[in-house]
Amino acid sequence: MSSAETGEVRGAAPAAAQHSSGRLQSSVDKLLAAGGAAEASGFVIRAVDVSKVYRMGDSETHALRGVTMDIKRGEYLSIMGPSGSGKSTFFNMVGGLDKPTSGKVYIDQVDIAQLDPYELAWLRCRKVGYVFQTFNLIQVMTCLENVTLPMAFAGKNSEEAREKGLEILGLVGLEDRALHKPAEMSGGQQQRVAVARALANSPDILLADEPTANLDLKTGQEIIELFCHLRDKLGVTIITATHDLKMLKASDRIVWIDDGRISRVSSPAELQIDVEEVH
Amino acid sequence: MNRDTTNRTSGAGNGADAGGSSAGVAACSPRPSGSSLQSSLGTQIPLPFRRAFQIALQGLRIRLGRSLVTLSGVVLGIAFLMSTVTTQFIDRAVAKDRDARRQVDVMERVLQFRIGSVKGKTLAVARFGALSPMEEALLARVRAAGPEALRLYSDAPAGNGEGVPLAGFARGAAVVLLLGDSPRCPVSLAELTEGMTTRLVLDGRADRVCIPDAEVRRELFLGKQLDTERERQVRQAEADLFRTIWIVVISLAVTVIGVANALLMSVTERFREIGTMKCLGALSSFIRLLFLIESGLIGLTGSIVGAIVGTVATMTVYGFIWGFAATFGGVDHASLFLAGMCAVVVGTILSMLAALYPAWFASRMVPAAALRSTV
Repeated sequence: MSSAETGEVRGAAPAAAQHSSGRLQSSVDKLLAAGGAAEASGFVIRAVDVSKVYRMGDSETHALRGVTMDIKRGEYLSIMGPSGSGKSTFFNMVGGLDKPTSGKVYIDQVDIAQLDPYELAWLRCRKVGYVFQTFNLIQVMTCLENVTLPMAFAGKNSEEAREKGLEILGLVGLEDRALHKPAEMSGGQQQRVAVARALANSPDILLADEPTANLDLKTGQEIIELFCHLRDKLGVTIITATHDLKMLKASDRIVWIDDGRISRVSSPAELQIDVEEVH
Repeated sequence: MNRDTTNRTSGAGNGADAGGSSAGVAACSPRPSGSSLQSSLGTQIPLPFRRAFQIALQGLRIRLGRSLVTLSGVVLGIAFLMSTVTTQFIDRAVAKDRDARRQVDVMERVLQFRIGSVKGKTLAVARFGALSPMEEALLARVRAAGPEALRLYSDAPAGNGEGVPLAGFARGAAVVLLLGDSPRCPVSLAELTEGMTTRLVLDGRADRVCIPDAEVRRELFLGKQLDTERERQVRQAEADLFRTIWIVVISLAVTVIGVANALLMSVTERFREIGTMKCLGALSSFIRLLFLIESGLIGLTGSIVGAIVGTVATMTVYGFIWGFAATFGGVDHASLFLAGMCAVVVGTILSMLAALYPAWFASRMVPAAALRSTV
């Protein structure tokens, strides 16, 4: 059902998207001002003509073909696109997990290609929180240990980390399962642990790849509310890849990636209309 | 399709381009201050060794089962190496015993060649002087083979229980064995062999002076056979040295491959974990340190256990052949201990190297690639 809707949406005129982005940015500005967090000056992430080519022997796969995108501070951005569209690749670039073949990615106006490994690690540790589609929890560690690991990397002592870890697990409603291993938990619970881990060092940017894909409606809703709360109260920039309509609705801007290029940018309001048209 | 709907900002991007040296991480273009989010990038501080050690130890403890499998790989490799080395030590320790045993084998074969099976036959043994250990061993074997009778005659002072009157002492015997270290035979061969149907004497010494007799055949136990045996042994020893070196080298290679394989597997199956850790802010050096500590601990424990198991097992097995006194007591303890220490060092370093390579490889991967890998 969802894919049919997206297909329909993509078919809609991109012209509408263009003027909507300006309107959206002004609303984000307002939102951030209301949140009292960062002044909405500058972009937290800028991707300039980013391309990525994977080489497998003789064959080349163009995952990204020159994507340019600016992401404002405190923005909640959703990225949509069919599987294999380069969505995850773009994600990795933006989060500093991969290097572009050409083009530049700036985080806080710093070209991440220029960072030395120490700075890059610092960035991944404190600036960016990652939530992966496959959770990527460390299976042999308990929930609490998973959550406190980034804090250990950030140099927090164990006591402090433990306290904060429990607090964050409480935020995602899992403090009573702190000492369980990921394998003993449901997909939804694991995803919530992953979210808690991403929040461990209070990142400025939260990157989430299909964070609600494996969750039930209620938990998914809770995650969305959590994200909105983070954006509104802490000014965290949130970037998600998702097919979840509720998530799209909550976001400020929706970017569609197809075949390694941005095919359109729209606002949730527009999408809502489109979706209703589908029904 | 390829429409870019986002703004292409110019100012900020150029600023960052121009000043993108790794030293000055802070954004070059001045930005409004006062916001907690506008902090410039910092530098990740390496975790102290103690913390890395804690995490590595915890990792080992948590995946105890997997650690033990890896450990047993190291134990096997080092045990194999140490058993080879210990075998060489035992070989050296029991070389004398082994030579003696070979000589007794030759004597027994000569005896059998002359008279066939000892079983059910009467044998006469004339002893002049002290018996060598080999001769004693031969007599023990002959006794064990179940002859009908074993008559003894000795030139030793009477009263030692061996005093069989000489005349006709070998009557009905198949052979007279002339043993002892005395250089001359005090009685004539004719006297010795009186009453035998086939008057055959087997002498243990080629240089013994005897009064010959036309009817008596005197054969040597250890004449030509022993000489060729000795020559063969000298040649053997030369060949053995080469073989020993070869075996140690091969067992070292087997150890290297076994240990490396165990560690390689345990690291490559954790590529995703390494990728995840890097996403969470782990430095490459931390990941290398983590695996270095982990593999060092596994290598050290495995090597010590392997060295002990390999040595004790080999000594026990050889103990059943040569006697425990010869194996546990006879070897050069200091050298063996030194060899064991070397094996432990080799095992530990090997384990660390074997783990370091894939860990180094994985830590250099961009996290996205490490996360993608499915081993």
